[in-house]
Amino acid sequence: MTPMRAMVIDDSRAMRMILKRIVTKLNFEAVEAGDGKEAMDLLADMTEVPELALIDWNMPNMNGLEFVTKVRADPRLREMTLVMVTTESEQSQIVRALAAGAHEYVIKPFTEGAMIEKLALLGLVPTGANS
Amino acid sequence: MSVEVEVNETDLAEMVEQVWESYLDPEGVSPLIQTYDENQPSEVHSSVSITGSWSGHVVFASSRVAAQRAAAAFLAMEAEEVSEEDISDTLGELANIVGGNVKAMLPSGAQLSLPQVMLAPETSTRYPNATRISGVYGIWEGEPVSISMWHSSADNKEEKGE
Repeated sequence: MTPMRAMVIDDSRAMRMILKRIVTKLNFEAVEAGDGKEAMDLLADMTEVPELALIDWNMPNMNGLEFVTKVRADPRLREMTLVMVTTESEQSQIVRALAAGAHEYVIKPFTEGAMIEKLALLGLVPTGANS
Repeated sequence: MSVEVEVNETDLAEMVEQVWESYLDPEGVSPLIQTYDENQPSEVHSSVSITGSWSGHVVFASSRVAAQRAAAAFLAMEAEEVSEEDISDTLGELANIVGGNVKAMLPSGAQLSLPQVMLAPETSTRYPNATRISGVYGIWEGEPVSISMWHSSADNKEEKGE
């Protein structure tokens, strides 16, 4: 069976490593991008679209909200599940991200268990994967 | 426009505790033990700046050994495997996470900068017209770590009508 793929988009290499570790543990194949533009460029070259993207908000070149908006406007990418992973925790920002097309929102700092629970709610990992 | 900052030391301490629980001490065996010594030394530091409805900086400072351990914990590596880049990335992300949570407690209209990292003591960086207004100062596994908030006095001048 082909493993699911997750795109980890964050300008912090340290945070990418944390997220990559979590999704790899869940048997995703991880692809990294340092900002929204790099992620869009990678997606343009992919024949198979990743099932999941974990997206930081504040990044240079193209921020997470712009990335979500672009993905949602592209029919080829409409099946991607988009999860914002960010320190932006104001209610208004969460509403903006969800309105733009993000499926879920995880606020930093987060525990590994909390992230896995969110992904389980989205049906992307077996329930109880963090137990 | 300026506003009274509503983030106090208790709020900062809660944010720091969450960071420790999430990344630096998920097992709950080596928490940051507060010393309340705002003059404790540092060898490396990182910061993010906040502008808009409130102006200032959030600074993470520590000894080099603490930064190396933080990077090892953050990146799930052995301390001796940690590179300068790992330390720099980790320090930047720690400042970003605390700064982002501080920003969330400020009135809307505040913006957060990308993190700056200096592998040098906190005292090597000058924050022009800024005053330290609160902080969490502690010892983690025997090494000094602090997270502090600095208020830019550009706001102070406005508050005084200067």
